[in-house]
Amino acid sequence: MENTDAMVPEIGGQSADGQKPRAPKNRNKHYKLFGKDYRLYDTLIGLAFIAPALVLGAIFVIAPMVISLSYAFTDATMQTLNAVHWNNFYNFGRAFTDPKMWNALGNTCLFVVIAVPLQLAIALGLALLLNKDVKGNTFFRWAYFCPVMLSLAVTSFLWMNMLNEQDGLFNGLLTAMGLPAQRFLDDPKQAMVIIVIASVWQGAGYQMLIFLSGLKNIEPALYEAASLDGANKFQQFIHITLPSILPTTSFILVTMLIGAFRLITQPMIMTPTGLPDVSGREVTTTMSWYIYQQGLTYNDVGFSSAIALIYTVFLATIALTLRKVMDVKN
Amino acid sequence: MEEVMDTENYVPAETAAAAPVQQAVYKKPKNKWTAKKIVARIFLYLWMGVLAVLFLFPVWWMVVNSMKSNTDFVAQLSSLRTFLPGNITEWLTSYINLFTFEGFLSETGSSYMLRAIFNSVIYCGITVFGVLLINSLAAYALSRIRFPGAGVITTLVLLLILVPVETSIVPQVVILTKLGLMTPSTRMIGYVIPSLVSPFYIFMFRSYFVGIPKEIEEAAEIDGAGKFRTFFVMIVPLSKAIFATVAIFTFMGAWNEYVFAQYLFSSRMDLMPLQAFLQMVNDANPKDTAMTMAALTISTIPIAIVYIFCQRYIVEGVSFSGLK
Repeated sequence: MENTDAMVPEIGGQSADGQKPRAPKNRNKHYKLFGKDYRLYDTLIGLAFIAPALVLGAIFVIAPMVISLSYAFTDATMQTLNAVHWNNFYNFGRAFTDPKMWNALGNTCLFVVIAVPLQLAIALGLALLLNKDVKGNTFFRWAYFCPVMLSLAVTSFLWMNMLNEQDGLFNGLLTAMGLPAQRFLDDPKQAMVIIVIASVWQGAGYQMLIFLSGLKNIEPALYEAASLDGANKFQQFIHITLPSILPTTSFILVTMLIGAFRLITQPMIMTPTGLPDVSGREVTTTMSWYIYQQGLTYNDVGFSSAIALIYTVFLATIALTLRKVMDVKN
Repeated sequence: MEEVMDTENYVPAETAAAAPVQQAVYKKPKNKWTAKKIVARIFLYLWMGVLAVLFLFPVWWMVVNSMKSNTDFVAQLSSLRTFLPGNITEWLTSYINLFTFEGFLSETGSSYMLRAIFNSVIYCGITVFGVLLINSLAAYALSRIRFPGAGVITTLVLLLILVPVETSIVPQVVILTKLGLMTPSTRMIGYVIPSLVSPFYIFMFRSYFVGIPKEIEEAAEIDGAGKFRTFFVMIVPLSKAIFATVAIFTFMGAWNEYVFAQYLFSSRMDLMPLQAFLQMVNDANPKDTAMTMAALTISTIPIAIVYIFCQRYIVEGVSFSGLK
């Protein structure tokens, strides 16, 4: 804040003195554009204020979309960015017949279908527990929230080390109890389950917090009236709690879905090989990771853009369907 | 901690004032403690305790095992001592190892861990400062200054928030390459610059500025203050809450960023931010799990501090994004 304050006289003086004198009466020059009246001073200052965001936004928000869209129809590679040729729908033909893409899409959907409902249910359950009038609430809230403080990378490295085959916590405990050691993240059958558990463990506390603030906003009078009418706890939950937090739930669901469909960090760290099973099918390669691999590991920008475009259409369809379903419900 | 986590902080500002009134009106008569209720209470505590253990033990294990040597770590793994810190004389052993860790380079005498922390602080500092300045200025222009094109840009910002586009880092890298920001010496700029502008933060700032009374600026203008002066002297101090919220979210996002960093700096350990450096520590040969735990613990501390001391802003930010 001190920095910005210090900048005031400098910037203010520069533009006000450079463009227009300081006195307010001189700021009143007007002009017309498309029949609308604007003040010249406002226009200059407004454009100056928005210019950095406009330039950076054009380069790093809009241009990536344009590039994704247009490069999908070309043979662009990272080395030949200056000699790009159209190859029409070749990349799309390749993508739709690429078993690895379908596999990655399948893996991502598997993760989403398991992790999202699980995390939603756990977060709501924790919020309901914390919403009770219990001594020590503060401690429990901190406890459930604690994993949220870990970044995705830290979470992944932590679980990876706990599940290490030789020097890991879980195998240490299993052997101490006389049980057979497990291969965990080296076992194609277990890896995705572990990624789900680690992700849900890390993320649930955050949604719990949102649910909790939703629950706190429910009028106590509603419960009062319901219990006078003889409704039991379960009926109160179904008829008061659930409808009251429906908007919160749909918001959480949408943000969680978007996040889950973008899964990349956890499998990338915990299973760097993508973990091929006996048939060579990589069981933890997700869609975001596959797009990343094609574009940055194999430098095939055209193909990568094509898959990204297909994935965007896929996600947009899901988002729109979801919005429709929720509109009907609300 | 008790004070920071006060329940009132969880209630959005406007309901916070109303809450005590409701409680006063609907105060129930004191419950009688029947045997059934006591048993139910005990089970509730047991259940909440089990859940707390499930959520806490990995974090506890991480911190505790960072406080012993790797030899002790391996030796204690199969006993319950794996959940206890080591000898008090060895609490710092792994941390010392970490700060003298050389990774795949063997340039003795320099601490790559220290450098990674320094890099993270620099990247985060620039990102937070840039995000606050650029997006708040843009939002102020869109909400309070009349100029041609403002309406179109506002619509565009809203559109960009609503449309879910799979923005992978591949096109970002393409653009950075074309701009010459992917060379070994310009990568640091290339790492920071794409995240400086965010339609969502512009939207957040704009929603806040719209609520500030116009009279303040009109008075300032009559006094002869220009828009720059008005913004920095009057609007910014009035909007501390939204600046804090955006700063916190930006800081956490920048500090925790991993994928882009490990791609850009995989061959430049001296430029890595902390999250990417964790990979180097984790891959140490011979494997040193205790040292890895020390690295994980250190990289979590700043985020933990932010969560503990800035609860209010985080909850405000969360409930704001909920209103979207």
